[in-house]
Amino acid sequence: MKRDFWYLIVFAVMIIFAAEWIGFQSITIGAITITLLPLVFAILLTMVLGMSVFRKGIMKKVYSKANIGFASQYLIFIMLPLMARYGADVAPRIKDILQVGWVFIIQDLGNLGTVLIGLPIAVLLGLRREAIGATLGIGREGELAYISEKYTLESKEGRGVLSLYIIGTLFGALFFSVFAPILLDLGFRPEALAMAAGVGSSSMMTGASSTLVARLPEMEETILSYAAASQLLTSFLGTFTMIFLAVPLQKFMYKLLVRGDES
Amino acid sequence: MTKTTGLNHYVKYGLILLLSISLILLTQGIKLLKYGGGAPINSTAIMGLFTLWLFSMIGIFITDIIKKANIPVLRSFPILGWVSITSLVMCLIFDFFVTAIQAVDFLSITTPILTFAGISVADRLVDLRKTSWKVAIVAVFVFIGTYLASALLAQFGLMISGN
Repeated sequence: MKRDFWYLIVFAVMIIFAAEWIGFQSITIGAITITLLPLVFAILLTMVLGMSVFRKGIMKKVYSKANIGFASQYLIFIMLPLMARYGADVAPRIKDILQVGWVFIIQDLGNLGTVLIGLPIAVLLGLRREAIGATLGIGREGELAYISEKYTLESKEGRGVLSLYIIGTLFGALFFSVFAPILLDLGFRPEALAMAAGVGSSSMMTGASSTLVARLPEMEETILSYAAASQLLTSFLGTFTMIFLAVPLQKFMYKLLVRGDES
Repeated sequence: MTKTTGLNHYVKYGLILLLSISLILLTQGIKLLKYGGGAPINSTAIMGLFTLWLFSMIGIFITDIIKKANIPVLRSFPILGWVSITSLVMCLIFDFFVTAIQAVDFLSITTPILTFAGISVADRLVDLRKTSWKVAIVAVFVFIGTYLASALLAQFGLMISGN
């Protein structure tokens, strides 16, 4: 075990301490309350401190190539206990969930919202082939694989999906942890928002469902079980929804939107 | 996934998972220290943590087996999904696991993960320069699009089903 690794562990412990000590913070703007959880501070602190300006002395050892490599290669394993926790949340609620099972399936089609809302905006901004990659989905591994197989990642479509992948990785969890409670304030039911949280990325789902839990602690079990069940369903159906629905829909809308466009 | 093969890499995964559950325990401890109340650290919570460890390991084994068996539809199913399913099945059979796992505070699980997520992207911040501001705006609408559309459909569906 390299010594740098222990710097990483000690640093992680310190960040967790700091993030938990800042604790829950909420900012109220009019009727909307933005809730910031310790997890938001944890990711903000580690991202900001990782910027090259701060990488001097001991911080250079914390953010060494090996340590950043460890974090990105094994992040998925560090996440596994969370995924196991979700199983325990779904189990006691399995009957309720199966009872409204069709609602779970229907709302999964909401993933087409990336094309429906994203594509017109992208075309309006003047994006063309990049828009194909950037709006097919939320730019996770599934879309990345599909686009790279069909267009390669060096193509404009490929650049679009890669950009979305990077933005999602950096800001996805943050974005959803702020956005979910805004919809709660706008009058959406927590059950609906919990189901919708299963967008296909575990970190984004966690961002959305965690702030909902923080806002409505008495509904913790319902929120977590609905979000986790929906996420599981998306993992199963996601590829099929993309290939059989999102791709044709995108093709159709793209033709319509860039009509008379010479490029 | 890694170059190492055989038992060796399971030891590695086991240790990483041990790190993960240790940090969860630490976070739950900090919360106790700060707020006094909340989820206590008792034998049930400790057993819950080890249950999380165990189910994660089982999920890793299943993923490896499926990969080796080369089942087309299931091959692309993520390891995260297998762990959830393992846990779901075990929790449906034995109520004990539900009690144990739920003794682990949920939000205490999330803080350590996002700490490592932040560190893991440290070198990718520079990649942001390669993306245009246009795609960044599109990304916001893509995220809003998927969440809002799902939420509207779910809200509508729940209304119809009278729930």
